[in-house]
Amino acid sequence: MLSRRTSYLLLLPAAAIYGGLFVAAAVYFFMLSFWSVRSYRVVPDFTLGNYVKTFTTHLGSGEKTLLIAFVIATAATVLGFYYAWIIRFRAGRWAPALLFIALITLFGGYLMKIYAWKTMLGSDGAVNSALIAAGLITQPFEALIYSPTAVIITLTHFLLPFAILPMVAALRGIGDAEIESARDLGAGSWPVLRDVIIPRARTGIMASFALCFLISVGDYFTPLLVGGKMAMVGQLIAPQFGTYFNWPLGSAMSFGILAVSLVILGLVNAGLSLVGRQ
Amino acid sequence: MKARTLLERAAAILFVAVLLSPLLLVVLFAFSSKAISNFPIPGWTLRWFREMLAFEPFPTALSNSLLVGVSVGILSAIIGTMTALGLACLPRREAQIAMLALALPLMLPPLFLAVMLLVWFLFLGLTLGLKTVILAHLLFTLPFVVVVLYSRLSSFDFRIIEAARDLGASPWRAFADAMLPVIMPVVIGAALMAVALSIDDFILTSFVIGGGNTLPMLVMSTLRTSVTPMTNAIGTMLISLSIVSTLIALYLTRYRG
Repeated sequence: MLSRRTSYLLLLPAAAIYGGLFVAAAVYFFMLSFWSVRSYRVVPDFTLGNYVKTFTTHLGSGEKTLLIAFVIATAATVLGFYYAWIIRFRAGRWAPALLFIALITLFGGYLMKIYAWKTMLGSDGAVNSALIAAGLITQPFEALIYSPTAVIITLTHFLLPFAILPMVAALRGIGDAEIESARDLGAGSWPVLRDVIIPRARTGIMASFALCFLISVGDYFTPLLVGGKMAMVGQLIAPQFGTYFNWPLGSAMSFGILAVSLVILGLVNAGLSLVGRQ
Repeated sequence: MKARTLLERAAAILFVAVLLSPLLLVVLFAFSSKAISNFPIPGWTLRWFREMLAFEPFPTALSNSLLVGVSVGILSAIIGTMTALGLACLPRREAQIAMLALALPLMLPPLFLAVMLLVWFLFLGLTLGLKTVILAHLLFTLPFVVVVLYSRLSSFDFRIIEAARDLGASPWRAFADAMLPVIMPVVIGAALMAVALSIDDFILTSFVIGGGNTLPMLVMSTLRTSVTPMTNAIGTMLISLSIVSTLIALYLTRYRG
């Protein structure tokens, strides 16, 4: 084994990247939210004006964003839990293959998945043309694309692998013996799920939900490409760093929505901890 | 009981189909002779790939993607190995806390991380370009690489190193001759994971690249102008690069979530 000093030396490059690129950037970004812009220049200042503006002018789009993110995170977590549950308890020798598929789709294709849904959901896209070819419909569904539904479908699909993996890890930690003993005491499948599996997998479920929720809250390109006229917070934040050139406001919007998101995640966690504990 | 098993099997098949089909359709329509991506497909062609090769910004975008991907892979392999080795010598609890902290950038919405890095790079006076893209990518590839390598090192028999040291090897030689050959497949696998993540990244890249192009940036620019199946051809290229890297990485690291 190495001495403690050598091991600290080995950690130095990672610490430099983490400190110099992430911690320092985050501190600077946070300070920016209290600064102001005068004649296209960022001026060090101390004002809460950016936060006031965030929580007054942009409240509506913030609410809509949080609602959509909540729907997406819930859908991805529920579907992901079902998939992880199949992998852990039902798939048998197919389990490694199912896990493998979740892993490959995790690493590839953020933009390609948005593009795929954009072409598939369009009025002359694959979904409509397949439904027409199958004789199920005669007129294409126009409402599929450029709508909140399209954003929800696209992001839920993109986030599903992110939701699956933490829950597979969590369900792996539950021994067969625990479930067997609950069964022996007369519990059916639903009580076993509610009283044993969900409470024991809570950390994993929460990790999945939080990851999906935060990524959805800040997503920008999905609503831009398939959301049509709807505006999520990301579409208001991004231009502050380009065309509008208002970094302080962009920063305050980011921290504002992040703070509200963390409160919501805290509430979800509290709600989840009630399951199976009454 | 029988009906339930059948239902679960159907659900599993549906899940797999939904997870894979969007990407498979992108690839499928890249070979369709029709200019619109839908069914029925009248015939097969390589025309869109020929158009892609003749597309003026394509070679630069490809070489930029590869340059950034390979640099990120090599840097995160070196720094990741150092970090994992350093962490392996700390108490388990401390190492886990350090890895959790290292993963914090992944828990932020990618857009926030992107604009945060953009203003920080500009504050530092760095010129935006491929170098800032590489730095930004390191921030989110390192946590993956470190976690994978740390879990390999926690089952590594450090007595081999002690034996080499007892026989007079310098710390560096002990590492290079006794440890590196054993952990090399996992190091390469973890580096390929970083390559896949880097090549696929679009959000961070689009904010910190300044003016240049990468494959995802090129896809985005065709989406803004005119979509033809050439976009599918570029996408097929992009998906193949990241999925092939991922497959080799999963094989070498035996990483399963």
